[in-house]
Amino acid sequence: MLDIEQIRKTFHPGTPNEVRALQGVDLKIDEGSFVIVIGTNGSGKSTLLNAVAGSFFVDTGRLKLNGQDITHWPEHRRARFIGRVFQNPFTGTAPSMTIAENLALAARRGRMRGLGWALNPSIRHELYERVRGMGLGLENRLNNAIGSLSGGQRQSLTLLMAGLIKPDLLLLDEHTAALDPKSADQVIRLTEEVIRRDKLTTMMVTHSMQQAAHLGDRLIMMVRGRIIYDFQGAEKRRLTPEDLLDRFDEVRRSDLLDETAASMLQRQYV
Amino acid sequence: MTQLIGSYSMGLILSLLAVGVLISFRILAFRDLTVEGSITLGGAVAAAMLVSGWNPWLATFVAFLAGGCAGAVTGVLATKLKINGLLAGILVMTALYSVNLRVMGRSNLPLMNEKSLMTFAQHLGTAEQPTASGGTWTIGRWVIRTADLRVIGFLTVVIGSVGAVMYAFFQTNLGLAMRATGDNEQMICALGVEVGWMQTFGLAISNGLVALSGALLVQYQGYADVQMGMGMVVWGMASVIIGESLVGSRQIGMLLIGSVMGSVLFRLLVANALRQGLNPNDLKLATALFVLIALVGPSAVDAASKKFRTAVKT
Ligand SMILES: Nc1ncnc2c1ncn2[C@@H]1O[C@H](COP(=O)(O)OP(=O)(O)OP(=O)(O)O)[C@@H](O)[C@H]1O
Ligand SMILES: [Mg+2]
Repeated sequence: MLDIEQIRKTFHPGTPNEVRALQGVDLKIDEGSFVIVIGTNGSGKSTLLNAVAGSFFVDTGRLKLNGQDITHWPEHRRARFIGRVFQNPFTGTAPSMTIAENLALAARRGRMRGLGWALNPSIRHELYERVRGMGLGLENRLNNAIGSLSGGQRQSLTLLMAGLIKPDLLLLDEHTAALDPKSADQVIRLTEEVIRRDKLTTMMVTHSMQQAAHLGDRLIMMVRGRIIYDFQGAEKRRLTPEDLLDRFDEVRRSDLLDETAASMLQRQYV
Repeated sequence: MTQLIGSYSMGLILSLLAVGVLISFRILAFRDLTVEGSITLGGAVAAAMLVSGWNPWLATFVAFLAGGCAGAVTGVLATKLKINGLLAGILVMTALYSVNLRVMGRSNLPLMNEKSLMTFAQHLGTAEQPTASGGTWTIGRWVIRTADLRVIGFLTVVIGSVGAVMYAFFQTNLGLAMRATGDNEQMICALGVEVGWMQTFGLAISNGLVALSGALLVQYQGYADVQMGMGMVVWGMASVIIGESLVGSRQIGMLLIGSVMGSVLFRLLVANALRQGLNPNDLKLATALFVLIALVGPSAVDAASKKFRTAVKT
């Protein structure tokens, strides 16, 4: 389904700000699998998702989606197959446009956009039903500007938009991180529902160990631009939030060791 | 009275400029300065074609297309060649100065007895022979030329139709995508729209409308001048800002109506200021100051009132 082969990405190469965000990531994701991505801050989780979505081109390596090589496809072309929800609720919706208009935009993700009415009665009706199905009571506010909604409502709608046309791949980048706990729970419930109903292949970044342990059927952990753990099947099912915290501690300790080793070397040689 | 009617007609004609500026500055969030060149381009193309005896409808339409091309060039410079948007507009505007001189053949091109959309409008629905004075109406102490009224009627229909077409366009899938491009670029890209192309297309429409405004302006005032674009961006912005405060809504239909109303009102305000003794040489300064105040005024007032409130509290 998605083949990530040895991708690397360095930001600002050759400058003092050089960041090696991805240092050879290999990952094969099967159709219908739900992959949780965790890792320390700055470990390259967002960069990985952005590389798949096409926000930038990778320096080396290949990306294949459904057997097609998409390595050199621009972002808007990949959008036909990929639905996204971002961390910031403001990123996923057009604030000055109405709920209905935002949904109508998503109803043509990756398709030709011609001179047909964007909101003809049949589309309007379908969108109404979809929004009602979310159970947030937003179906009667379809003509309100989306900017007037709360972050949780906006994230829920962005999620609905991402799945409006069934995507081959759904990318969720900490999409509940900016929400209060109650809205975050609501959005997570909706996420599970959407993924299960349409059997969506999903990559979801999260900082919540609860979510990481309880959701998904596979979990990868990233450190410094590499995948260091990959749990699948029964192994993933057995993971508890505590296990995951232990792994983080391990990483932190080895990082510390690296640092002390580096400073020792520095003292000896410089 | 004649003066009032004249200002009103000019306001209607320039409302197409305002709608063009609305599309680039507000809807696409692109600071497009091409406008100063493309309004003249529209006027130059129309005048040159009319002088050569072309049909005025065709001349006006070609002017629209020429403006569209100018906008598209700015769009390509900005999105494909990645030149800063402001700079791209300045480059095209500067280049257009020479193009306009070429099109006109000299710096000022008067229309003598050529048929134009205005001569067409003046005789709409009458068998009356064209005469210098034409028929008049007298209401109290006001004398109104019926020909002037016909021109206003004609312009109202033209502006109304263009406005309706634009409104309809912004309800289509394509139009919706264009609005979203200015509202949230990252989102619309993630939904599969090539932002650069959409901006280029929007700039083409915007400058096409501006050139259309120029073409009508030339036919109304009876000459094209290579300097006529000077300060038109700010003029258009002033109209849009007035329009926004008039309608007080961000809805696309209201914004379109507001721009037309803003343009007419601004023209009337200016005519009145001139009558009250504003030196015409100071007009551009006054317009620029007006836009400046409208841009920084609200936030300055906010800041001042906040300061005032904290000062009162402590
Ligand atoms: N567009 C960019 N330009 C420059 N540097 C970038 C860019 N995007 C990411 N980086 C850098 O790459 C590294 C990895 O960032 P990334 O956002 O992928 O981390 P992350 O794992 O998502 O972290 P977080 O948990 O904080 O979201 C960071 O050091 C970051 O500063
Ligand atoms: Mg991140």
